[in-house]
Amino acid sequence: MRRFRITPLRLATAIVISSGVSVGVAYAATLGLGSNKLFAWSQTLTKGTCNQTSTTGDDTYVQQLNPTSTAGGTATTLTISPIAATQDYAFIRFNLSGCSIPTTGGADSAVLTVNVRTAGADTISLFPVTSSWSSSTLTWNGVSGLTIGSTATGTFSASSTGTKTVTVTTDVDNAIKAGNLWGWELRATSGTASVAIGAAENGTAANRPSMTLSYEK
Amino acid sequence: MKRLRHTFGLAVTGMFLFVGVAAAASLGLTTGKLGAGSAAVSGCTASLTATRNVNSSGNVTQVDVLSVPQACASETLAVTLENSSHVSLGTASTTVGTCTGGCTVTVTGFGTVSATNLTAYAFSLTQ
Repeated sequence: MRRFRITPLRLATAIVISSGVSVGVAYAATLGLGSNKLFAWSQTLTKGTCNQTSTTGDDTYVQQLNPTSTAGGTATTLTISPIAATQDYAFIRFNLSGCSIPTTGGADSAVLTVNVRTAGADTISLFPVTSSWSSSTLTWNGVSGLTIGSTATGTFSASSTGTKTVTVTTDVDNAIKAGNLWGWELRATSGTASVAIGAAENGTAANRPSMTLSYEK
Repeated sequence: MKRLRHTFGLAVTGMFLFVGVAAAASLGLTTGKLGAGSAAVSGCTASLTATRNVNSSGNVTQVDVLSVPQACASETLAVTLENSSHVSLGTASTTVGTCTGGCTVTVTGFGTVSATNLTAYAFSLTQ
């Protein structure tokens, strides 16, 4: 029997044939990796509630008839009137700093509650305020200097006394991201009566404005 | 004929040898690719955080992924909204654009997902 010997020619032939195959295999493997996921990450959110009461609230109403008055800041009720030349607008806000929600957080749900003390056939609309104000200084003349949204966040009917709720989730979510909640202007957008809602200074806690807030951060 | 057979046999043997080498090369390439990928990934890696907006019904309208590194430009960023059991509530993706420094990438199209049920974001970046 003749013995098979590895000659340089045979070895070279074998290398040429096999390297062609192996390069193909390696190329396919690389292609497979090329479409793989490069990076993955997750972020877990913390949920919480931070309900607001008169403790963190601030409110007032301004009077067209007394355009420089700040008396609304200490009143126990907030008057809202659509009557020409004697219009009254109310303002309500809450200080969310105690909630420690970062600007990357947000509101999952926010509902404002007010208590109508003097009823009238008015529709009260809430317009978001996005510039600073204080009940101790805001006047009718000062309202023109505020930034107030032109689209109502929500409405309620003041035709009966008692609690009324308005969902304000989007406004509060935006306010959290902006760093401050400057609240709402409450204005009668239909009706002819002067109505009143309880203020933060009201002697009965249930009559004061409040807000439930569920958040994430 | 016998010589041809022997040559063929040697070639087959060599092929197995090189398949092994190829596997190693493939592994090497794989590692190399991942290594290269790691280089890309390291530039593209960050502790991504996001914030979402809601509509008046409390549903998520968009997710803004913050400070996405510029190295991730042109890659596909996918965001999955998860509930407390890490079950997907909705997924959407977009291509990371070019910008200076970290990008805020807005992702929309999650369907109707209540922000109340959202407890985690899962991010992935693919080529």
